[in-house]
Amino acid sequence: MLSTEVASSLSTQWPCRDVQMRQLASLLSPHVPSPPTLVVHGISATCKSTILRAVLATLEVPYAIVRSSECITGRHLLTKILWNTLEALDQKEEWEKSGKGRCEHVSGLSVLLEECLAARSAEDPGKFVLVLDEIDRQREAPHTLLSALARLGEIIPSLCVVLVVSSTPRPLFLQCAAVPHISFPPYTRREAIHIILSSDAPVVDGLPDETSSRVYPYFVSTVYDSLVGPTAGSIPDFRSICERLWFRFVAPVVNGETPPGGNNEWDFTRLLVKNRAIFRHQGESALVHRIVPDETPATTKRTPLAKTALPSALPSLPYFSTLILTSAYLASHTPQRLDTIFFSKFSSSSLSARNKRAHHRRRLKVLSQAQAEDRQAANDCPSTPNKKGKRTKTRITKSTLSSAFATSSATTSAIGGGAGIAGPSTILTARPFPLERLLAIYHAIDPNPPATPLRVAAVADRIYAELATLRRLRLVVPAASHNGMATSSGNTTADAGDKWCVNVSGDWVGELAKGIGVEVGEWLAGGLD
Amino acid sequence: MDTDGLNDALGLSNDKSQTLGAYIYQPPKHGKSTGERPSKRRKVLSTTSRDKRADRQHFVPLLNGDEKAESVQLRYDTYQELWSKQENKIQDILEDVDSGVLMDVLSFIRSTSPQTCNGCIPTALVTVGSNVSSLSRLLSRLNGQLISTEEGSVVVLESGDAPNLKTTLKNIIRATVTNTDGNDGYQKFLIDRAGPRLLGYDLDLLHDYVQRKGTKKLVLALRDSEAFDPGLLTDLLSLFKSWLDRIPFTVLLGISTSVELFEGRLPRSCVALLQGKHFEVQEAGNCVNRIYETIQADLNTSLWLGRNVTSTLFENTSDYFQSPEAFSRMVKYAYMSHFFANPLAVLLANPDSTVLTQSKLCKAIRNLPSFRMLCEDLIEEGFTKQARDMLEDDEYLIQETPKYLDANQQRMQKMFQAVRVVHACLQYTQSAKKPNVSDLSVRALSGELPESTIVEEMFATAKTLDSDKLDKLLVRLQGIMISPEVDAIQEELSTLLDRCSESGPLRSGYNINSTVTKTTVVQQRIRLSKGQADLSEQAVEYTNIVDRVIALLQVHLTETLINPQNLFLHEAFLFDLRNPLKETFAPRPRFATERALATPFDYLLSSSDITMTGVSAKQPATAVLYQLYLDSGALVNVHDLWQAFYGVFETEEAGGCDDRVVMSLFYGALSELKAFGVIKNSRKKTDHLAKSAWMGL
Repeated sequence: MLSTEVASSLSTQWPCRDVQMRQLASLLSPHVPSPPTLVVHGISATCKSTILRAVLATLEVPYAIVRSSECITGRHLLTKILWNTLEALDQKEEWEKSGKGRCEHVSGLSVLLEECLAARSAEDPGKFVLVLDEIDRQREAPHTLLSALARLGEIIPSLCVVLVVSSTPRPLFLQCAAVPHISFPPYTRREAIHIILSSDAPVVDGLPDETSSRVYPYFVSTVYDSLVGPTAGSIPDFRSICERLWFRFVAPVVNGETPPGGNNEWDFTRLLVKNRAIFRHQGESALVHRIVPDETPATTKRTPLAKTALPSALPSLPYFSTLILTSAYLASHTPQRLDTIFFSKFSSSSLSARNKRAHHRRRLKVLSQAQAEDRQAANDCPSTPNKKGKRTKTRITKSTLSSAFATSSATTSAIGGGAGIAGPSTILTARPFPLERLLAIYHAIDPNPPATPLRVAAVADRIYAELATLRRLRLVVPAASHNGMATSSGNTTADAGDKWCVNVSGDWVGELAKGIGVEVGEWLAGGLD
Repeated sequence: MDTDGLNDALGLSNDKSQTLGAYIYQPPKHGKSTGERPSKRRKVLSTTSRDKRADRQHFVPLLNGDEKAESVQLRYDTYQELWSKQENKIQDILEDVDSGVLMDVLSFIRSTSPQTCNGCIPTALVTVGSNVSSLSRLLSRLNGQLISTEEGSVVVLESGDAPNLKTTLKNIIRATVTNTDGNDGYQKFLIDRAGPRLLGYDLDLLHDYVQRKGTKKLVLALRDSEAFDPGLLTDLLSLFKSWLDRIPFTVLLGISTSVELFEGRLPRSCVALLQGKHFEVQEAGNCVNRIYETIQADLNTSLWLGRNVTSTLFENTSDYFQSPEAFSRMVKYAYMSHFFANPLAVLLANPDSTVLTQSKLCKAIRNLPSFRMLCEDLIEEGFTKQARDMLEDDEYLIQETPKYLDANQQRMQKMFQAVRVVHACLQYTQSAKKPNVSDLSVRALSGELPESTIVEEMFATAKTLDSDKLDKLLVRLQGIMISPEVDAIQEELSTLLDRCSESGPLRSGYNINSTVTKTTVVQQRIRLSKGQADLSEQAVEYTNIVDRVIALLQVHLTETLINPQNLFLHEAFLFDLRNPLKETFAPRPRFATERALATPFDYLLSSSDITMTGVSAKQPATAVLYQLYLDSGALVNVHDLWQAFYGVFETEEAGGCDDRVVMSLFYGALSELKAFGVIKNSRKKTDHLAKSAWMGL
């Protein structure tokens, strides 16, 4: 079969990949000697594996496909290669011969593969294609694995190894010259729209076919321009977005609304003007996948919007755990040097202490305001040297502040909701704290301090127990795993000196704390006022 | 330093008698292999069989060791009997609570497939809140259901089982196979197959298994999803995704916080693999309230938890993460301690008088405060003879005691019945915050309920109820109170309602609508006066009925809501000791460690007779150093510490003090403190130690 025939027979099913199909077909054709190694590369969802599979099936070349993502270790991969090859060659019963189905090293693999291929019946000495899918994603792969696998084809003449990689290969990454590469580029706008339009528009009850066929092409290209193109979406994404939005888009026609402008018929422009909001709100939410999909049917436009805006019910914790979480939050968000001012019991009731606290809160707030203004000023004219930043005498440097602003992450967000500041009023990101500090702060903020302080001793122990639960819930985490997440989860031990860090948003903690009678802003630097 | 002192300090001369104040706990070794999934049924069986062997030793004779053996055995048997009854009730409640969610999850698992989820892994998100244990209950029942219908099985995975991908997969495969075939089945499964032996983490194994069994749904449940490492979870799920066409996975994620928080922490690529539905399990609080109500207010109850115990129990539930199981364990402990330590508990077994004929037991009964109260009452009422007999005649006492016990137990039962009456009434009278049975019980147990504002308000509102609500209330009361009076009133009311069914609900004369405010001008002042509006005939009749209901309730409540502390023998059927319960369930390791270090002779026997306060060389070196450490600031110079340490030994052992020995003690102590984690090297100053723990926090 000629390569053009293969391409034409397949292109109805997978359009816009003619070039690649022809290349593959000519390189892997059973009548032509194949290159020992072939690299197929392209980002995900560009149809690499599907087309490779289809071409191989059409060419009727014996082949085996190993999906690297399903192999846990390098050894697993090698075993699987051997096993799949045996299966493809119908030699499954003879696994005892070939190393008892065990293969621990690439050199061993080459010997075993050679034996298998040599053991084939004499009348069919043709080539054998081994496809290693997503081989660049192999877990626990030794760094020589790729180049070693690329050599297999050189050692065994009848073998052709196809490496499918999803990253763009660096030059000579196989340490081997002149390996043919076939690139699967992402689909262009024209191609993507063509692919979507090659299937019909989703059927909507009550929508005349004629309108559908007239409006759908425009709709698809608008979706591509507004949502898929800018986000580099793949074809399946594109398709699912189109399917999801199409119902809403044509809803005015189906509901029998009268088109504006005295016309009797809806055309694309009118629908678009009517449905601008879809692309803004639903379109964006359509891009984000959620585990629990929104099940609000798209009958009215108002209700789903209101629903998404509402914060879902957050879990409530038991009293004691809430208090611990609050202390952890405060410990994470108060600079340690201000501890004596904010949490010391010796001066907690005196006027001067309160003044001091207010002063510090205000200062930190002024600082953050100044920072916001600076940014504003910097945006306007970058050359002006700022003076406000220098005037504030604090050890919190400008860089920490600006980084705190830049990464207004989930861990820090506004509590007070100050009117003047655009950014979060809690200017510091969560910092790690030692456990003893948490205990001390707990005692400081306890809204119901024990009547007899001598009995307090039990509290520290109870805190540990609750903290373990909070840690299991990842609300408070050891500082090391907060950053790296490298340490294994589960039952790792923590020393007394180890640092911890809070791992939730401030709003929620603030709300929880209010529920048990603790005002977080009162203790927080830059929180209240 | 003389040898004695030295040996003492080094702990060389420690013979066992000196350290009797402290015990070392050595946990028994379990023969069970670690990997084997404990099957619940078998576990229960094995423990009970072991219990039977060791029955005899469980309880010790009380009353200074003079208690009869039968009586000891009776106490134990009664405990077993009472608790097993209660436990069954609790179990029923727990199953009942979950059944709704169970059905939902089951139907979700049955109805979904990757095709219905846009090619994603079908995922059930179960939020459990603080009710952490409910999930495992749910899962085991789910497992049973799926296995019995041969649809598949549930594999439970905990974060501890998942240190890395390889082990996790191995655990999943092993758990899946052992779940249905047992451990031997797993071994057989590994060996007994055509082809080469696969690696333990190869999902081909699972694929094989699924094909052999014809599994339609393989549910993988992550019990504490938050605790899993997000990277590992992503790896695992992407692996499942790629196998989804061969193995029918369904993922069940147990979430303790909220779906948003959980989702927010996962990488987008991982979220994109999942799609499913969200289920919520009931909060622990409701469940616990139901358990408490069943335990206490049931008509067959013969032992009650007192006010202190109740408030401790509910404090724990509201303040800490606590599962209903933990709650029932605490109740069990309370039952256990009652029967273990109270010789009067034998009375609950309704023994024949031969068992009771023990002079010590009679003595114990006579020593009860409630006995004293009883005698005083008897004398006041003029039954001097009886009082005298009770005091002097053992036989008479033993004859009378069970009667009193029975009567008083009935009064307790009635009291809880009254609590339920109040609770039922409050459902109709109070709109906003409804106190639950446990709140009411605490008040009732302390005898405060009849005079409380809750009840007063209840009566006030009950007067103004319209006929519809009153009708419902009466029907409800009929279920709780067995009294002909209620039936009679109910009948009357229904006949009245039949007569005037068209005029809408009737209102009593106490209702705000039937009072009229009159305005009169007296001496240039406006006076407001309230007066009864003219009531219709039916309304007057209805008002009468309301009055009767109120009167009935008032009489009933004042009769039944007694203070249990005033009942004779309440010590036998009311367990109200706060302390063993509270201490047992709140261990204080840190406090104990600190105390042991700061005042070692609280635990160790001192070699000298004089009780010493403060630092002394007789104490273990670590304790000495710890006390010095307590006096220091946040940073302490090691040399200063050494000097102080040496000083302690120098003053005690005037003269011959070998500073090399002391130095070695010092080093030993220092490294021990380091191991405790109370000191660490300071980064600021090289020759200083930083304090990292403060006492008494």
